[in-house]
Amino acid sequence: MSSERELQISPIVQEAVMNNSKTLYNLQSLTASLFGVGAGILGLESYSGFLFYVVCSLLTTMLFYVLRVAPTSLPSGKAAFDASRYFRSQFEFWTGGLMNGLAGFILTWTLFYGLVRA
Amino acid sequence: MAPSLLHPPSQLSPAAALQLSQQAPAVLQNSPSTVSKSPFSALFSASETPELWIKYENLLLSCLRTGDELAAKQCLERLVARFGDGNERIMAFKGLVKEADAQHNGELETVLKEYEQILRDNDTNIPITKRRIALLRSMGRVPDAVSALVQLLDFSPTDAEAWSELADLYLSQGMYPQAIYAMEEVLILAPNAWSVHARLGEILLMAATAPGAAGASYQKYMAEALKRFSRSIELCDDYLRGYYGLKLVTTKLLKESAKLAKQAEEDGLVLPDTNTIERLNELATAKLSEIIRHSTAQDRGWRGYDQGEVAVARELLSEDSSAASRIER
Amino acid sequence: MAQVPVQTIHRDPQLFYWILFPITAVMILTGVLRHYATVLMASAAKKLDQKTMREQRSLLHGINVRGNSHALSKRSFTARRDALITAYESGAYLKDPERRGQAPPNPMSDPSSMEGMMGMMKNQMAMIIPNTLIMSWINAFFSGYVIMKLPFPLTIKFKSMLQAGVATKDMDPRWMSSISWYFLCIFGLQPVFNFLLGSDNAASQMAQQMGGMAPNAGQMFGPGVDPDKQFLAEAENLAVIEHYSVLDGVEQRLLEGIKV
Repeated sequence: MSSERELQISPIVQEAVMNNSKTLYNLQSLTASLFGVGAGILGLESYSGFLFYVVCSLLTTMLFYVLRVAPTSLPSGKAAFDASRYFRSQFEFWTGGLMNGLAGFILTWTLFYGLVRA
Repeated sequence: MAPSLLHPPSQLSPAAALQLSQQAPAVLQNSPSTVSKSPFSALFSASETPELWIKYENLLLSCLRTGDELAAKQCLERLVARFGDGNERIMAFKGLVKEADAQHNGELETVLKEYEQILRDNDTNIPITKRRIALLRSMGRVPDAVSALVQLLDFSPTDAEAWSELADLYLSQGMYPQAIYAMEEVLILAPNAWSVHARLGEILLMAATAPGAAGASYQKYMAEALKRFSRSIELCDDYLRGYYGLKLVTTKLLKESAKLAKQAEEDGLVLPDTNTIERLNELATAKLSEIIRHSTAQDRGWRGYDQGEVAVARELLSEDSSAASRIER
Repeated sequence: MAQVPVQTIHRDPQLFYWILFPITAVMILTGVLRHYATVLMASAAKKLDQKTMREQRSLLHGINVRGNSHALSKRSFTARRDALITAYESGAYLKDPERRGQAPPNPMSDPSSMEGMMGMMKNQMAMIIPNTLIMSWINAFFSGYVIMKLPFPLTIKFKSMLQAGVATKDMDPRWMSSISWYFLCIFGLQPVFNFLLGSDNAASQMAQQMGGMAPNAGQMFGPGVDPDKQFLAEAENLAVIEHYSVLDGVEQRLLEGIKV
């Protein structure tokens, strides 16, 4: 009850949150496909390919945080790496990209791996 | 903030509206005149976007406001060409242009008759219903407008625009309790709209200072007005109207603090104690002067304020300080 | 343990031009086509007569009052609640009050409700027909080819799925046939559609399937639902609500929260 009350006192605008996560989702799925192209051309196989994907998508999220979130969220008193000013769940912000882009990554990875190493 | 064609122009100052309508030739020339319905030519021409039509609508409104009826008619033609005559929104725009064309009351009566004819065929045409209400109001037939609005709200009680229009109509007739009720309905539909909270506070304050209100109801109104203004500030810091209202209410309450009876009510709207009111008053004064200072200096991030509102706030503050110095003397 | 030698298969590079690219192009184009077909087939919002609109919006009004009761003071909320409960229980907002208490009409016999079902059917069809067509097309033309090698190893269980139509016992499951490329495309083309058609496109089947599971707003007033029961339920919901106003203690919060 108390948390519901807090939410009513300082409301969260649903549309804005949706817009934020949609922006992030679009960025992540597009970059994931591009990482797939990169991994395919580099000829990475099995674990190194997935590792490449994890590192790159975390790097994207990190860049997104540094360039878009941090400039306004740090002065407003949030701790570093805290994206709660714009996103509902921390976990989703930092790891959601891994799930969102995986299918696109595998597709382009396979395609370009096949094209280059035919 | 520069006026944009993508936002409805109803709140703009005359200068801004003029600036918008002067863009009309450029917009009309640069956008494609009609978007072809044939899919093959659509493949090769520029794609249409919802923004284009929003632009036309707002341009139409601005042009009508500044008397550029030629451009307005061009906009209307393009809208009709795209959406057809039967579209409810377009029908309302057509009526609007006809209203603007009317030279005297008799022609307005004809337009009104047309609206009624349309509504007889289709009684859920909400844009036309609203146009009819607005026309009734502008012709000075307020009671008719009110009854039409009440009828509209009976079958569509989730229309915030209609509720706030009703509140405004009641307010213009001095029927404060009804206006407050209608404004509360707006709040039910948009519970986080700080401007609506502040507006409700203003209506409550007017109701409190109206000649009829006295004693317990006066205090109740003042208490709720105080709380409404506080809530609007809580939702939007730096909201000028909210602070202005808060300042008004607290100053008034402090002046009369001696004769305010202690009230013990169960419905939760009790005036806070004098100490709290004083602190709220100080807060409002400090914040208002900060807003005035920054806005006059055109500081970054403080530019959106309406100049008229800032001037009024400055007047209020100087009145207040002169009164205070008189007491000290 | 001896290293398993890496299998290499010499494939004609023409395979790429005649299998891989056609399948990919067809998949993308079908997605685009499906998007526009859905846009075209979307039936315009059904015209409601005044009575129906009144019934539906009155119910929505009650839901709004319940959900946003915190914006009202206690007195206004109580007045509204009492008025709404009385109206709901007496059936004042019903479309035809005299039919109260009777069983709702059979949704199959009502032409207006059939229309809603047709809409749903159309959406389902737009999804199913192209998929079956493309799958049979791929099976007819391209079965039996090994076109690509996955860049990551898989267990033997995937063999039957990935190498459908290729009856070679010893082949590494990493080799995949054209049908498995089709499946990869179904899942992986989402970002491409996002990029081409904007993010709320109708091409993505995943989104449609998700949307099918969640109860949508249309069902609230869907066929076969008795509005009288809905009103009574809403009256009950309103009656039990524990009212709390955001106006309570707002001055204290303000004085604590805002620093000048």
